[in-house]
Amino acid sequence: MHNRKIKILIVLLLVGLPTFAQTDSQWVLEQSTLTYHVSHPLHQVEGVSHEARGKGVCHAGQCDFLIAAPVKSFNSGDSNRDLHTLQVARGGQFPIVTVRTHLPESAAGSATIHADLEVQFAGQTAAFNQIEFQQQTQGNETRISGTIPSKLTDFKIDPPSLLTIAVKNEIPVRVEMTWRKEK
Amino acid sequence: MNLKASNFVMWAAILQLVFLISVPLRAQDAAATLSGAIIDPTGAAVSNARISVTNVATGQSIEAHSDSAGLYSVPNLTPGEYQISISAEKFSTNESRVTLIAGAKQTTNLTLAGVLSLGDLGFSESQTQGNAQAQARLDKRSHMLKIHQRLGLIAAAPLLATVILGPGAGGKSTSSTDRWTHMALGAATGDLYFMSAYYAIRAPRIPGTETRGPIRVHKALAWIHGPGMILTPILGAIAFNQKSRGEKVHGIASAHGPVAIVTAAAYGAAILSVSFKF
Repeated sequence: MHNRKIKILIVLLLVGLPTFAQTDSQWVLEQSTLTYHVSHPLHQVEGVSHEARGKGVCHAGQCDFLIAAPVKSFNSGDSNRDLHTLQVARGGQFPIVTVRTHLPESAAGSATIHADLEVQFAGQTAAFNQIEFQQQTQGNETRISGTIPSKLTDFKIDPPSLLTIAVKNEIPVRVEMTWRKEK
Repeated sequence: MNLKASNFVMWAAILQLVFLISVPLRAQDAAATLSGAIIDPTGAAVSNARISVTNVATGQSIEAHSDSAGLYSVPNLTPGEYQISISAEKFSTNESRVTLIAGAKQTTNLTLAGVLSLGDLGFSESQTQGNAQAQARLDKRSHMLKIHQRLGLIAAAPLLATVILGPGAGGKSTSSTDRWTHMALGAATGDLYFMSAYYAIRAPRIPGTETRGPIRVHKALAWIHGPGMILTPILGAIAFNQKSRGEKVHGIASAHGPVAIVTAAAYGAAILSVSFKF
């Protein structure tokens, strides 16, 4: 009888161990600066958004992240240009730009991370593989910075023109984010 | 064949038979089975989840799918360490490792986490749902402003020519040809200008948009060149009549030239304000 109890206890412990190992945690985006850069012979334009929201959910050592920002929140300092950008990016129909990524929880300790990103913008989904981000952790907060080498053609956007000269196809997006870990 | 020999053959045959039967039995005993349930964070069964079981040592992979009750079973696995990857639509992929010993019937229940949604980030449906009407309004606005821009740039050419020919048409000049040319160019400028202005004024407004940046200068300058474009031809017509009667331009008509210059300057500045970054 005593042996049976011990066996049951061992079985319960063995069943319970993976459950303890799969402790969930989550990340919340505290602050962010997303900056796109557009090049034109007459202009070098930068549009900035501080309105991105993000969350990361970790389960069994794997984390899923979602970051999203309203397309109209990007400010280039000229409302006319921003409205034109919104139109070109089909922001009326697709008002949110989203970025999804999947990272192992262990990546939190590295100074550099390489993430596969899935970006939804202008009604299109584009994948950016192994994008390098720098990471600095202080206490519960982690700062991440890097650049997504996006192009207008990735999202099937015709390059807009000013005075009949089209802008460059490359629109790199600089990402600076501060994440807070929550249990 | 003597009795001893026949007994030997019989026992050898029995032994071989036993051996042949036992080999698959032993192999079957050695094989492990991995099974369990796939559930979501609420504990509900996830059917048709894809389970991929990969032997870490050999890299060999076996796939299975969960049934309607969320249950799966992967039999005939050789003992060793396995990487299990579970994926299902609307869920994020879950990966875990398990070590199977010979003959084990391992039960591994796995939970799939739901994929994060925009709702999880606090976005309301009205913020995330775009609509074709909003896009159509943006498209119409851009289209009309493009026409405004093109007509405005085209109008700059006759405007410049009118200003250049101005001194020849007025002052001490008595040439009616110069006067008529100046008037014709001025009329063409006015037509193009008001057509361009129509497209700017009638372009749809986008609610909730605050005007900022160089466009504010562009719009402010319209309060100078707009009235100027109305006043200049009126004063020009008076001056034209005075000159046609052989009179010297006098009275209010003498303001035609200065008003035209200020109007043209404001117009040029308005074009530059949205064309170049200062």
